[in-house]
Amino acid sequence: MSETPENPIKGTGIPHDRVRFTTSQDELLLERVRARDHKAMTDLFDRYGGMVYSVALRVLKDTGHAEDVMQDIFFHVWENPRAFISGRGSLGAWLTVVARNRAIDALRRRKPSDSVDEVVLPAKTNLASEAERNTIMEKVRGVMKRLPSDQQKSLQLAFFEGLSHSEIAAQTGDPLGTIKTRIRTALISVRKAIQA
Amino acid sequence: MTDNRHISEEELALHAMQTLTDEESAAVRLHVSECGACREQLAEISGDLALVAMSVEQHAIPDGARERFVDRISAGPARPLSFMRAPVIPFTPERKTPRAWSWIPWIAVAALLVLSAALGVKAYLLSQQFETVDALLRKEERLLQAHNAESMRAHALLEALTAPSAQHVMLTTGKTPPAPSARAVYLASRGALLLQASNMQPLPPNKTYELWVIPATGAPIPAGLFRPDASGSGSVVLPSIPQGVAAKAFGITIENAGGSMTPTAPIILSGAAPAAGE
Repeated sequence: MSETPENPIKGTGIPHDRVRFTTSQDELLLERVRARDHKAMTDLFDRYGGMVYSVALRVLKDTGHAEDVMQDIFFHVWENPRAFISGRGSLGAWLTVVARNRAIDALRRRKPSDSVDEVVLPAKTNLASEAERNTIMEKVRGVMKRLPSDQQKSLQLAFFEGLSHSEIAAQTGDPLGTIKTRIRTALISVRKAIQA
Repeated sequence: MTDNRHISEEELALHAMQTLTDEESAAVRLHVSECGACREQLAEISGDLALVAMSVEQHAIPDGARERFVDRISAGPARPLSFMRAPVIPFTPERKTPRAWSWIPWIAVAALLVLSAALGVKAYLLSQQFETVDALLRKEERLLQAHNAESMRAHALLEALTAPSAQHVMLTTGKTPPAPSARAVYLASRGALLLQASNMQPLPPNKTYELWVIPATGAPIPAGLFRPDASGSGSVVLPSIPQGVAAKAFGITIENAGGSMTPTAPIILSGAAPAAGE
């Protein structure tokens, strides 16, 4: 039996033609990575390192641990370039979810640290894909800000703090079912706003 | 948690965010592996989560992170960075036990006395070997200088050992890595098996972990190969195994990359299966 595919992400809700260019570039790079091309792997790191690091930093609030997560993820891609399956979504979207999940794993294994990094410039990436990415990021940020505060809080606590719905319910005093519904409703709102 | 046919979107969202219990997540994985509709729904939700992740404020990677990554892939397989840090555990002088340290000055003084006596005897013996007074004086002078140098070293050592402001630091190796473990969910009537392993040791490229179903009677049945990722996690989902086999236990061995039809000792992990329904 072969290794289990590790990319469960279908898509980001982003129109297909908008991601096609970047996706095809990613696929070419991945092909070279599979052929053990160091330069291609470094290009992938340059393209998505900042994004992966930023997600990990948002969760862990510690620059050292966030870098550990980023390094481990890209090294995993280097050692297992077939872990991401083309056609099931964009590599960038996959990496952000993996970054969040790995960061939550790290968070659960250690005591919180109060070291927080300062805000700096975005990482260097391909100009075209970076422009697309920035547009999407701005759009999602806008949607997130417009969410009702209770939805926003539930989603933030679950996604970035890694709290279970029971823990969120205990913290907010709301019923479990309400928490679940808020999270799901918030996700649907984000998806619809991006698809609009 | 689910109705009889599908898992709710709310539960799928919680599963995608890894906020369900291990048992709940295992049940979701098992269902999703068999249900195309829920698999599709989970993929949609994961896409939504990717968007949420992209909403974070962007930061530049730390200085030197790129170089460290390039070095790492150039060096080949390696352990995660977090395992490379050997912690330095400081402890303050106030926490030391006086009795445990009280012998050190005495030992140092005794060593100094023995050293002095030895040097004195040596000086005396050497003096007998020289015929002229001048030669004897020159030798004694050198011995005296050496004696003084040794005395200064002993004094510095004694001072360092007894000074209240001295820092005492114990250096240790890295933390003991967490023990490998695995959790299996098995439905004999369907021949459905799910294994999640964690903290597994990395393997050389020509080796793989192999899962075995050990039936109540008969030979072990190979039930899938897996290699751990960089964090030591690995899984086997719905391997091709016969239905209706009552399992007595499960085991994991290390085999050659292509797998084996018979397990090779030693068994790295094993677990007895409770009676069905327990």
